[in-house]
Amino acid sequence: MSSRDRMLSTMLGKSRGPALYQPTKTLTRWVRFGIRNAILVGLIATIVVFAILTDKFLTVANVRNILVQVSYTMVVAVPMALLLISGRVDLSVGSTLALGGVTTGLLITSGVNPILAAAGGIAAGAIVGILNGILIAYLGFSTIIVTLGGLTAIRGFVLTISSGPLLNFGEGFLEFGAGEVAGVPYLVVLAAAVLLVGGAVLAQLPNGRHIFAIGVNEEAARLSGVRVKRVLLGTFVATGAAAGLAGVMLAARLGSAPSGSMGVGFDLNVLTAVLLGGVAFAGGRGTMRGVVFGVLFIGVLENGLVLLNVSSTVTQMLTGLVLVIAAGLDVLEVRGAGSVTPRILDRADDASRTEREEAL
Amino acid sequence: MIQREAKSALRVDELTKSFGGELAVDSVSLRVEPGEIVALLGPNGSGKSTLIGCLSGRLNPDFGTVSIGDATFDRLQPRTAFAAGLAVIYQHFSLIPSLSVADNIFLGEEQRRRSGRVDRRNQEKEVQRILDQLGISVDPRTPTVSLSVGQQQLIEIAKSLRRRPHVLILDEPTASLGEQEARILGEHLKRLRESGLAILYVTHLLKEVFEIADRVTVLRDGRVALSRPVPELTRSDLVHAIAPAPRVEPPKQRTARRPGELALSLSQFSAPGIGPLDLTVNHGEIVGVFGLLGSGRSELLEGMFGVRGHAHGEILLEQKRFVPKSAARSLKSGLALVPAERGRQGIFATLSARDNVMLPYLAELGRPWWRNRRREQAEFVKTGEDLRLKPLRASSQAWTYSGGNQQKLVVGRWLTQQSRVRVLMLDEPNQGIDVGAREDLYELIRRFAEVDGRAVLFTSSDPEEAVVLADRVYVLARGRIVGELQKAEIAPEQLLHLAHDMEAAA
Repeated sequence: MSSRDRMLSTMLGKSRGPALYQPTKTLTRWVRFGIRNAILVGLIATIVVFAILTDKFLTVANVRNILVQVSYTMVVAVPMALLLISGRVDLSVGSTLALGGVTTGLLITSGVNPILAAAGGIAAGAIVGILNGILIAYLGFSTIIVTLGGLTAIRGFVLTISSGPLLNFGEGFLEFGAGEVAGVPYLVVLAAAVLLVGGAVLAQLPNGRHIFAIGVNEEAARLSGVRVKRVLLGTFVATGAAAGLAGVMLAARLGSAPSGSMGVGFDLNVLTAVLLGGVAFAGGRGTMRGVVFGVLFIGVLENGLVLLNVSSTVTQMLTGLVLVIAAGLDVLEVRGAGSVTPRILDRADDASRTEREEAL
Repeated sequence: MIQREAKSALRVDELTKSFGGELAVDSVSLRVEPGEIVALLGPNGSGKSTLIGCLSGRLNPDFGTVSIGDATFDRLQPRTAFAAGLAVIYQHFSLIPSLSVADNIFLGEEQRRRSGRVDRRNQEKEVQRILDQLGISVDPRTPTVSLSVGQQQLIEIAKSLRRRPHVLILDEPTASLGEQEARILGEHLKRLRESGLAILYVTHLLKEVFEIADRVTVLRDGRVALSRPVPELTRSDLVHAIAPAPRVEPPKQRTARRPGELALSLSQFSAPGIGPLDLTVNHGEIVGVFGLLGSGRSELLEGMFGVRGHAHGEILLEQKRFVPKSAARSLKSGLALVPAERGRQGIFATLSARDNVMLPYLAELGRPWWRNRRREQAEFVKTGEDLRLKPLRASSQAWTYSGGNQQKLVVGRWLTQQSRVRVLMLDEPNQGIDVGAREDLYELIRRFAEVDGRAVLFTSSDPEEAVVLADRVYVLARGRIVGELQKAEIAPEQLLHLAHDMEAAA
């Protein structure tokens, strides 16, 4: 029997003798697709379940509501995904969000033009990003320690500059939070724009590949001429600025900027969404498509459970569980495709995966 | 599991394994008798790693059986292979640096006293027994971090011997060893052979085959190309089996060089771990730096490249003063480095082959900051053909390539048309690659140097490489240059003589 015949009989499942080949290619393919796109499958399933359980779910008003709710998360999840892919993380985005909102609030209430005030809020976030980037990328401090310290320190700073909630932002600014264009809220348009930019950076700009390269092998990236520190600094600044922007958006939506409560828990929310979207915590892997699904999934879950009058504590429990399950699926897949050792999935398959990963 | 009578220590019958429709191992049969060392040789991509993967239980073969002693398997789990008496030692060490030799050897299977405490005394006694058997004089209580790489390799072997295996498989054990250490390892393996152990020794060095092996099996394109006792073979038999078109030709005197025009010169150069030293590279010249392990080879290149702390002294690159500051700046000035440790410093394992090669040029090929994938692809294919990359699949992740082809990806990064590299530095360019790929690589390096005004500086611990590749060789020992040989004078004995003498004298 020639080797070609063997190949054929393998494919047809007619192998004899000691070979233990199971002809279950189609099934495996679907299972693999399901595991790889678990978050998409989960998102669709959740939408279907909520649509059946309550007729309030699939209404134009509610969909718009969900999209507004997730817009803040989306704006920060996009650069956060870039950070994670490069092997870094920013745990301070919740406090930075508060800093952005409160800075803008203080500027407006002291008579500054709302647009300039918003720019000030974003700039405040960017400054946090610069500090994070310098400490981590240039001085080599631990990412987790710096941004965890930032989480506490920035919150303290925000409470110091504004003890009570800020109110009375004026019509123009509130219009930004409440208004819409062609039925789509400004906030959603903004989030979509950020997503597009992030997707373009990751897939279309050289820097996107550099971010991947740093996450996969930082030393090789450096020796290949990638300006590792600069790229990391840029990513931290983008994340900080995005958190500031999210703060501005939230202040405009709420019509206030409560320094103590704004953005509390937001950091972990963003991180959860990004990880749900299949971005690897260890870096080197992730897609913007996945991030979109991750963010939407959390938004849909929270919204649907509220509509069903389920307590928010249960929502929290579920979100946590989903993250762990998603991470479990991820382990299954990584063990299969393997960054180092191949086990379940074969090579050709993996090649096509790279292609897929590149498509946004 | 099928029971069958078998008397060889290790017997592979008609083993076949394909990946995505491509046969990586095609009906390979092989046997290793007790008390025998069989060398497994083959070009990269020939299926060596896949075969070892099937033997160790990491991969499941499509067809065929593996027999270990009396037991025959059609598929193995790492655990069952282990239990059947097969031990595999990989290129990468699994030792924990801060633990002692004994603790490492017993890691995960610590012997306990009744109180639950680790019984160190007993462990150390057992380890001493194994070390004596191997003939290694190392105190079991030494932390492994303080051992040389060669000693660590031996400890790795000792670790696998604790389970008293019948079959030992070594996957390119000398890849990270210097000449001397490799020879010592060979002696130890011969000693183990006397005790009746069957050893399968994967290598790409012909020299090692003749030094230690009893029989040799050559794989090519997933098939057995040759399998014979070593005494019946000559060197050229093996070369023919590995690379059928005899590509290993005596190096021709290249005429492209125009001596006198300096591409690179160092005077009183020093960096952490090396120098001060003087060194020059002319246009069109391929200059080797020969040195044993610990002579400062990597330190020299990395110091010049600007990735290893402060350097002193003067460097002239293309007649211009050059101060090594960072990799990005060095590259901009036309100096590139292919690092020694491919896995840690060179390859992006989970990025595509195309990204691995084109990464430095994404902006140039784009418009200018928006990537142009079509051009990336076209340039990659062009470079890939030059490199004789196999398989030439742009979107395959780099880890799916064999060692030699991974090395081509890393070197190819600086050989593309976009490359503005004038002086290419390579640290141990032939690490972990076979004869065929090595010839390809040397050819690429020669062609690089032939282009007007370019030059190559490489380091090596392999005297043969220095002879074949270099126009001129500096000998490095203890961070200093201890000799310089012109083309006609370069001979392995001479190089080793200089290097060893100086190591000993210093």
